[in-house]
Amino acid sequence: MILNGLSLTVNAGEVHAIMGPNGSGKSTLSYVLSGREGYVVTQGSVTYRGQDLLAMEPDVRAAKGVFLAFQYPIEIPGVATMQFLKVALNAQRKARGEKELSTPDFMRLVKARAAKLGVSQDMLKRAVNVGFSGGEKKRAEILQMAVLEPSLCILDETDSGLDIDALRIVADGVNALRSPDRAMIVITHYQRLLDYIVPDVVHVLSQGRIVKSGGKNLAHELEERGYAQFEKDAA
Amino acid sequence: MNIAVNLTPAELALGGMMLPHARMEDWRWTNLRTLIDRPYPPGGKIAVAAKEIARLRDTSPLARMPAARLVFVNGAFSQGESRFPASGEVGIRPGLPRLSASDEPVASLNANFATDGLTLTIRSGANIDTPIELLFLATDADPRTIATRVAVDIGAGASATLIETFAGEGSYLANSAVSIALGEGARLDRVTLERQAPGAIHLADRDVTLQGRAVLRDFTLTAGAKLNRQNARYTLAGEHADARIAGAYLLGGRQHADTRLVVRHAKPHCTSREIFKCVMDDHARGIFQGKVIVDPGAQKTDGKQSSHALLLSETAEFDAKPELEIFADDVVCGHGATSGDLDHNHLFYLRSRGIPEREAKAMLVAAFVEEAFETIGNDHIRAALGEIATGWLASRGGAS
Ligand SMILES: Nc1ncnc2c1ncn2[C@@H]1O[C@H](COP(=O)(O)OP(=O)(O)O)[C@@H](O)[C@H]1O
Ligand SMILES: [Mg+2]
Repeated sequence: MILNGLSLTVNAGEVHAIMGPNGSGKSTLSYVLSGREGYVVTQGSVTYRGQDLLAMEPDVRAAKGVFLAFQYPIEIPGVATMQFLKVALNAQRKARGEKELSTPDFMRLVKARAAKLGVSQDMLKRAVNVGFSGGEKKRAEILQMAVLEPSLCILDETDSGLDIDALRIVADGVNALRSPDRAMIVITHYQRLLDYIVPDVVHVLSQGRIVKSGGKNLAHELEERGYAQFEKDAA
Repeated sequence: MNIAVNLTPAELALGGMMLPHARMEDWRWTNLRTLIDRPYPPGGKIAVAAKEIARLRDTSPLARMPAARLVFVNGAFSQGESRFPASGEVGIRPGLPRLSASDEPVASLNANFATDGLTLTIRSGANIDTPIELLFLATDADPRTIATRVAVDIGAGASATLIETFAGEGSYLANSAVSIALGEGARLDRVTLERQAPGAIHLADRDVTLQGRAVLRDFTLTAGAKLNRQNARYTLAGEHADARIAGAYLLGGRQHADTRLVVRHAKPHCTSREIFKCVMDDHARGIFQGKVIVDPGAQKTDGKQSSHALLLSETAEFDAKPELEIFADDVVCGHGATSGDLDHNHLFYLRSRGIPEREAKAMLVAAFVEEAFETIGNDHIRAALGEIATGWLASRGGAS
């Protein structure tokens, strides 16, 4: 049992931070929400825009606007980044009954978003995440998010492995996507990221459950007192 | 000692010639005595309407590519259907070329039953830009053996792109022998596209010789036929010859494909690479047998081979038999073989971006074979064959 007794409501327009020590279940939560196989939800439900999220295939969830920026983005040799992004975007548009994007329109869109995130043309020419540094992978995830324009963004430790400059670029990219009809769950181990992406609500995850929720100051409190104290309080 | 063997109906139809069986060294996975379960009588001309030929020809993904096209219909070279190379530096002589004596079963079949063929010559120093396609078509008719023979001679310093395409309809046994000689410093980009009819049998024998500094880029896509056996011998007969031999299998249903390569380094300082990417679904069975021989004195040989299998179902099978026979001491040789199923992390990543499962799998299949396709130098051909790989999974409707 990795998650147990977790309850969370995120409204459109809100940014929720989930903080917790290693092994507390942060990635597991992100995988359950995005539909990775290998997890069995024995109890409880996830409702997304009034629909049963858990009943949907991962690609259906994506088309409905769920996006996970992976903690460890996956390298896929042989699949070209641009082709992958185009197939993904158009598959989502098709699933939503929207018109597919032409290649020139798509190229324009990606180039504009990539420039803002410091993703080079060279990176776009490579296979998905192959040969990317840790930081480049994280930026590429945010680029995908910027191109796919999801309505629920789940960011799993997007800050890990980023130096301060890269962190700023990524945070700017994320902040640019903040909007009244988009919700975000920002998972992090450190408070640092939340100086740049200021959350509306902060949750502390410990041993698979949320032990405390509060405003953005909770992150600072955590940083000072450490997770151990919270775990003790919760026990 | 005399052992009486009951010939099979297939063997009787082939004039009593005994087919290879599983107790023979190179045939342990492909017992033609049992796999060829009905007679395919040789010979016999079959008249076909031009319309029919055009229809079959246009099913080729390369049909619209500018190329010289030498067309065989049911084993006969059809000059009328062919478009001869514009260059005067390419010579084409219809008629059966001589075959070097061999007791190899597929070659023997050809020695006995080939009905037509041609000899293609490229003058020394000529650079032939327009690809030359040998197109072998079989039209629907009663089961029969169709055997053809082609010899290719590429002069010193010449270069060319040669495509061999096999396609057809119905139930037939296609037997093809091709011998290729690359002169000193010659370069050949060779692509074979095996898209025989689903009910067909494809038995091919290749013999390729490279003189010094000759460069060969060789790619074979095996996608058609219920039963496929491809033999190829490559001899690096001059110093600094360089051969890259790649292949991809796209097999489903009960398809069976067995490739047997022998690469012989006869002279020092030669390089050879074999890279095979084999995808098997349903009950398909793939076999890759690769042997590298380094002759005494062939020092500084660099010879590597690898085969990789992607099994899309629990019932698909793959066998690899890599062999090295090394009689020189200063060489770098190696082989590797892997076999696995689709990476679930890859699949989830693609699906998490909204790509439906089927499409995601198709992308991963195309990605898996990609490395082999890189051997194709001509962009147009690579793209056309790449589309076959991308569309393969969807076109079959089978696996989910
Ligand atoms: N697939 C799995 N099967 C079983 N246990 C797992 C699996 N994945 C993670 N865990 C365990 O679940 C706990 C939470 O892991 P995870 O969600 O990765 O934590 P976090 O992301 O907060 O570091 C850990 O104890 C981890 O070892
Ligand atoms: Mg984690």
